[in-house]
Amino acid sequence: MAMLNSNGFVLTTVDELLSWGRRNALWPLTIGLACCAIEMMHAAASRFDLDRLGVIFRASPRQADLLIVAGTVVNKVAPMLKLLWEQMPDPKWCITMGGCASAGGPFPTYSTLQGMDRIIPVDVYIPGCPPHPQGLLYGILQLQKKIKEKGVKKYDKAFEEFKKDMERQGLIPREITV
Amino acid sequence: MPWMNRVVADKVKLEFKDVDVEFTKHTTNLHVRQERLIDLLLYLRDKAGYKLFIDHTCIDFPEKKERFQAVYILHNPESNERVIVKTWAKDGKLPSLERLWPCAKWAEREAYDMFGVLYDGHENLRRMFMWEGYPYFPLRKDFPMEGIPEVELPSLTEIYAGRKEPPSHDYEFMHTRVPTLEDLERTEKSRLQKKAQLVLNWGPLHPGTHGTIWFLFDLDGERVVQSDVILGQLHRGMEKIAENVYYFQFLPYTDRMDYISAICNELSYVTAVEKLLQVEVPEKARYIRTMFAELQRINSHLLWLGTGALDLGALTVFLYAFREREKIMDIIEGNAGFRLTTAFLRIGGLHYDLAEGTLDVVKAFLKDFPAKLREYHSLLTRNRIWLRRTKDIGVITREDVFNYGLTGPVARGSGVPYDIRKLEPYAAYDEVDFDIPVGEVGDVYDRYLVRMEEMVQSLRIIEQCVSKLEKLPKSAPYVNKEHPAVMAPKEDVFMDLEDMVKNFRIVVHGESAPPGEVYVSGENPRGELGFYIYSVGGSKPYRLRIRSGALYNLSIFPKLIQDGTIADAIALLGSLDPVVGETDR
Ligand code: SF4
Repeated sequence: MAMLNSNGFVLTTVDELLSWGRRNALWPLTIGLACCAIEMMHAAASRFDLDRLGVIFRASPRQADLLIVAGTVVNKVAPMLKLLWEQMPDPKWCITMGGCASAGGPFPTYSTLQGMDRIIPVDVYIPGCPPHPQGLLYGILQLQKKIKEKGVKKYDKAFEEFKKDMERQGLIPREITV
Repeated sequence: MPWMNRVVADKVKLEFKDVDVEFTKHTTNLHVRQERLIDLLLYLRDKAGYKLFIDHTCIDFPEKKERFQAVYILHNPESNERVIVKTWAKDGKLPSLERLWPCAKWAEREAYDMFGVLYDGHENLRRMFMWEGYPYFPLRKDFPMEGIPEVELPSLTEIYAGRKEPPSHDYEFMHTRVPTLEDLERTEKSRLQKKAQLVLNWGPLHPGTHGTIWFLFDLDGERVVQSDVILGQLHRGMEKIAENVYYFQFLPYTDRMDYISAICNELSYVTAVEKLLQVEVPEKARYIRTMFAELQRINSHLLWLGTGALDLGALTVFLYAFREREKIMDIIEGNAGFRLTTAFLRIGGLHYDLAEGTLDVVKAFLKDFPAKLREYHSLLTRNRIWLRRTKDIGVITREDVFNYGLTGPVARGSGVPYDIRKLEPYAAYDEVDFDIPVGEVGDVYDRYLVRMEEMVQSLRIIEQCVSKLEKLPKSAPYVNKEHPAVMAPKEDVFMDLEDMVKNFRIVVHGESAPPGEVYVSGENPRGELGFYIYSVGGSKPYRLRIRSGALYNLSIFPKLIQDGTIADAIALLGSLDPVVGETDR
């Protein structure tokens, strides 16, 4: 906790300072998958204006620390999304927007991934089909709260799983022939 | 739209003795032996004038010997007639139509992907939506909708929090097959044999591709030597779902196809089902439908304008266009309760009556919007950068419109006045006055102008709908609840036992449709969205094929971009305006 003492000094911890900076400058990756992406665009456009929260969309995963999965994740796109997630530098967070990304939504079919958390650990799930832009704003505020309370997550455990998973599936790309 | 008449059918019969002509209630079908298929189609295209390729798909009959029946739908732009040609696959094989209509290549790839039908003479028969190495053919009748759970994919959120027994939430560990990156690489490599310097992947996760389309460009410097498009990054199995749910249950799924113009999709779908079930729609409902479909068209064109301009570097237009979009979204939300995926229409009418004050808000919008349109025009139409980026880029000739099955603003931009609202009026389009804008050159700029003018025409239609709706009494019915297959409106269900029982019956057992087939299409902002329903009776369609305008419009992309530059690809794609939800379904 930051405190203002009588001499006008602010006392805080480095952790707290970093967390303050992190939660107020969440930069999501510009990725739209389906219908929910339209609502995400609306959230970023004139009326809802995500910039107010310090949320600025970046086109490169190297500059982003938040992945908003907006839309249906089908099996075919899942490994690529995971690749992007792995290209994002730590610390990073993931919000699933909408029923599809959270748990498969209205598509319990052969081609749809039943929930983004099957391949990426998720921090905030936003229900809705699609969620209202206000819902997305609320989700981002919740994430800020989470970062404030929990600090930066350690992903070691999840990474272990990733690595095992990658080895199992042979996800490390090699040159192949057709 | 009328179907092939008896005079033409007799001529066909003279020419081809063994063709069976079948006049069903809603269509004209020509049954032909497979050996004669190409000859018949050639005759239809060159002699009889059926030159616009609408769609091709297959139907699976597991109990029949040949199993797969191929269905081709063609359209004659002169006499404005359609025809369906049917043939059976032989040993799971069909001849490829690639030489007749180049867009058939994509339809055949899809049929191969979904049914496993092979095409003789296809240049590169590959998986359309799934990846290379995927072992199943999902639309076959013996494949379950849920797929086959075969890999273990536990929730990582749960693993991170420490896995518990029983698990923290209710889900299945086992999941259907997910490809590896190698599978995807194999898919990519199988599509394009490198000829020039470098193969550039554009997409699938790229802000400029309007969703998740995956483009491959074989580049020689800036110049594109050849290219291909990989789809399926949003293939959700809509057609499979349709076979497994009741007719009314599929309605919300149509919203999620072309999610930018949800109400137009619904309108096409309910029109098709209403034709099959023979439901009359009350006048009020028809006008409300028309009004909202046109509002949605403006809404959709605004999104195209905003993102298309954004791709070419004009951020202002994006913000301005979204300002107007929000207003339309509010009108829609006030009536349907949902902004984007509305589910506002119902088979036989609407879900809700017009909300109090809607017409006033719409009138205010009508008054306000022309000034906004002028604003967009002043930003772009004579803007030098805009002209340089769009003039004479991606010119589509009139022949190509027919060869590639192009519809919607893309066809009209090339001077083909193909508009289902005029050719086969549905809802209240035959009672309102409007013009069809057409382009001359067929370049990106013409398509831009056509869409801008379409918004003006939509305003005209909305204005007429408003004045009509003002005259209609408030108590006029908005659902034809007398029909046995139409659900009664909510307020009646709570007050009336009979209505409640009827709704209960429909929800539990579904509507029962007569056997037969229909093909009905609507004019979507993206082109012709058609529904081909093959019913064998019962409450679920045996086969529901969605003819996507966006898919066929996109099929010309590789041809147009050849010898162009990468920068043109972005302008070109924006002008074709595909939505992945619809191309992939
Ligand atoms: S949750 Fe609904 S709106 Fe969002 S992507 Fe899925 S189907 Fe579309």
